[in-house]
Amino acid sequence: MRETPFWHNSKRSVANKTAGVSFKDTPFQELSEKLIYILLGSSLLLFILWPILLVLKESLHGNSGLSLGCYYQLFSQNRRLISDSFLLAVASSALSVTLGLVMALYLTYSHWKGKLFIYAVLLLSMISPPFIAALSYVMLFGRRGFITYKLLHLSINPYGWHGVLIMQVLGFASIAALLIMGVLSSRDQSLEQASMDLGATPLQTLLRVILPVAKPGIIVAFLLVFVQVLADFGTPIIIGGNFSVLASEAYLQVIGLYDLPKASAMSTLLLIPSLLMFLIYRRMMNRSHFSSPSVGSSSNELMRLSPFTNLFLGVLTLSFVGFELLKYLTIFWGAFARTWGVNFSFTLNHIVDTLGAGKMDSFWRSLEYSLIAAIICSFMGMLLSYYLERKKYWGHSFFDFVATLPFMIPGPFLGIAYLLAFHGPPIDMTGTALIVICNCMFRQIPVSTRAGAAVLTQISPDIELSAKDLGARDLRVFFDIILPQLKPAFLVSFINTFTATMTTVGAIIFLISPGSKLATVELFEFVKIGKIGEAAVFANLIILATLIINLMFSFIIMKRKLRNQYLGGEGVYVSGIARAN
Amino acid sequence: MKKIIALLLIAMFSIAVLGCSRQAAKSPAPEQTAKKNLAGTTLKAYAAYGPLDKIFAEFQKETGIKVEFLDMSSGEVLSKLRAEKGKPTGDIWFGGGVDSFIAAQSDGLLEPYISPEAAKVPAQYKEKDGYWTGVSLAIVTFLVNKDRCKELGIPVPESWADLLNPKLKGEVVMSDPAVSGTAYFTLYGLIKDTAQGWPYMGKLNVNIPAYAKRGGEPPQKAAIGEATVGISPDTSEELKAQGYPAVTVFPKDGTPWWPSPVAILKGSQNPDGAKAFVDWCLSEKGQNILKQYTPRVPAREGIAYPAVVEGIKSAKMMNIDFIQAGNERDAILAQFQKIRGK
Repeated sequence: MRETPFWHNSKRSVANKTAGVSFKDTPFQELSEKLIYILLGSSLLLFILWPILLVLKESLHGNSGLSLGCYYQLFSQNRRLISDSFLLAVASSALSVTLGLVMALYLTYSHWKGKLFIYAVLLLSMISPPFIAALSYVMLFGRRGFITYKLLHLSINPYGWHGVLIMQVLGFASIAALLIMGVLSSRDQSLEQASMDLGATPLQTLLRVILPVAKPGIIVAFLLVFVQVLADFGTPIIIGGNFSVLASEAYLQVIGLYDLPKASAMSTLLLIPSLLMFLIYRRMMNRSHFSSPSVGSSSNELMRLSPFTNLFLGVLTLSFVGFELLKYLTIFWGAFARTWGVNFSFTLNHIVDTLGAGKMDSFWRSLEYSLIAAIICSFMGMLLSYYLERKKYWGHSFFDFVATLPFMIPGPFLGIAYLLAFHGPPIDMTGTALIVICNCMFRQIPVSTRAGAAVLTQISPDIELSAKDLGARDLRVFFDIILPQLKPAFLVSFINTFTATMTTVGAIIFLISPGSKLATVELFEFVKIGKIGEAAVFANLIILATLIINLMFSFIIMKRKLRNQYLGGEGVYVSGIARAN
Repeated sequence: MKKIIALLLIAMFSIAVLGCSRQAAKSPAPEQTAKKNLAGTTLKAYAAYGPLDKIFAEFQKETGIKVEFLDMSSGEVLSKLRAEKGKPTGDIWFGGGVDSFIAAQSDGLLEPYISPEAAKVPAQYKEKDGYWTGVSLAIVTFLVNKDRCKELGIPVPESWADLLNPKLKGEVVMSDPAVSGTAYFTLYGLIKDTAQGWPYMGKLNVNIPAYAKRGGEPPQKAAIGEATVGISPDTSEELKAQGYPAVTVFPKDGTPWWPSPVAILKGSQNPDGAKAFVDWCLSEKGQNILKQYTPRVPAREGIAYPAVVEGIKSAKMMNIDFIQAGNERDAILAQFQKIRGK
């Protein structure tokens, strides 16, 4: 049999083994399996590649046929915009990953019992209803903010690049933290002990042993956050003031001036560095393996950091937690406060008004769409990851690439792309629920597929091979062997898609039709007419529902324990990544 | 067992890939003559107006036509309509910046309809061929935070000239004219006004820290005290009613305004329902209901002004040529970009 450990040369040997038709496979079974692959592949082409290509075509649209005029114009007139976008993306991702690293280290090495609570806050911070979260930030830290002005007597102007930077750092830090934690949780603790035994101080161990171990996680976190920051248009719009980036400018080009060619060119420009990052990321994932399965070192005692280091990490982590809690408290209290920001006396009026006004339809609709999108997207993601990671049929790396594309483009852009692609023959589905669900679903396919692939790379293919040797057919292997092991990935995918769909707003504004409003749209309408209390009620409903469904689902899937390392590694981009849209 | 799931998946994808075509075979509408039998039909609206749920509920009470709506700013509606290329997912477009309606008309996205009720609407408030008809006059106002004024030690600003007060540096919020109709007509009115012109806009720019990218932002910022003055559409009754320390000011030295239109979208699925809505909006009864929910100057002659906009009578309405404003939009926005130094 195979002696090499699976994490070394496994891929090639699996590919070889599975590529050849097992003698037990009948032509029919082989066919049905290929058929699923073809269906999966063609749905990727249809719902991801085609709309995006239409948009690219738009960017080459000149006065007379094809032209590079838009790009020329961009580079000659918007150099500042381009450099600002990339500088901000680098700064935001570097800082949020640093903060994430601090929190990950604290959560891994602290002996404090409250760790679990911090972990819960990190997960909670992924659920961020649009508008109202930004509003609460402004009310707390704005020019007349409760904290900055009333308590600290500072008059800080939060609008500008620094505001965007801070919001993005806070917004992406928890994802970075969870990613790095995932890597740290599967580390080999004996390394630290060896280092300590050889006389190194905890700080030396931290810097020279632990950080190098965490390096792949740190780099992956950086790449993923970078791509997300680059595509984030919401934060600059809300808090950027006069500062803008390519993503927000592309949005305004569409909304304000309907300059589709220019907006397309801007988005295409965003796509290039993102693609580069993705390629680096793929190489990283292939080379370094997260899972050197810990060799029974779990009983060993956790290394103790020096009190000073511990304090430093703890203070930073707790201030982040404090910020987040304050935000959620403000949103929560906003639902009961008579006049948000002015008069915080208790009232139930907002709740009565909201629940009584027939506004709940959109909420239930949101729930329904999110559930459908989450379930289908998760199944698809798992199937895809199986085909791409294990079967490696013809064209798998191409499909892998296509499945990653939606991750890199700003939300509203995919909305416009869908409108261009599916309005009129051959596929006419604008104005239907289907187009909204498809959009939300395919937008999250990258996360689902990656989550599945991440777990698959950590699972030994031996079991699958044994099952096959015992006569199981490929599909049977998938459902009986692979799917149960993919549970954590399925969960991550579900939580991510569900949360993203519940809180999405940018992409769907062009796709929803009158009569099929979603909760976020309703929320926006409340904000627009100034009924901030009612908006807060809605925001709380969204947070609560998302939390409950996610917890329920976690419970069903994982039965008992939700072990951190299960959600570890690449798998935890979890939800909220798509908060930007 | 598990095969069923696989089959289900296959079925699902097939539906997604092959199906989804809307039933193109729409049975030819039985006799156009079956008029007034619109009760029970549904109208789909894009709208930017007062409390839409209440307004449409009144319309339904009257006609039995149910209205499903989306609250979208006019720029968004225009983008959506253009992308939908004359096959809209809605029937009517109600309220918002008339500049977008003019642009949509020249793109051939609107269906002309001259309502019998429109005879009572002065010519300057409507398009002559009925592509759009003004329902009310949207007025640009200042929403001023009184508490902030006290803190700054200044009286409540009452005119555009007052907004140039150096103490208001960083305290005036306006939306980006590319996004918001309110902001565009403010800009247009100010630069065409002989007393103000582009130089005024340059000076005002100094006091504006940033141009908001959403239309509804300025009044909200002023209400919660993030800014002192928000250049706003309408009078923000909802915010004031909640107890924010804010007052509405009609600028004395010239109030920008525009007719807030209603239009039927070309390719509407329920053209008769759409016409019924236009008629209702412009009728005496409809006008009175509209002003009750959104206190604006009614477009129809002979309707009393709502109390809160009485103040407009002492203000000076700016002279604005809307068609011109629509045609010059690109050039003016380009010039504006230079002023704000981008």
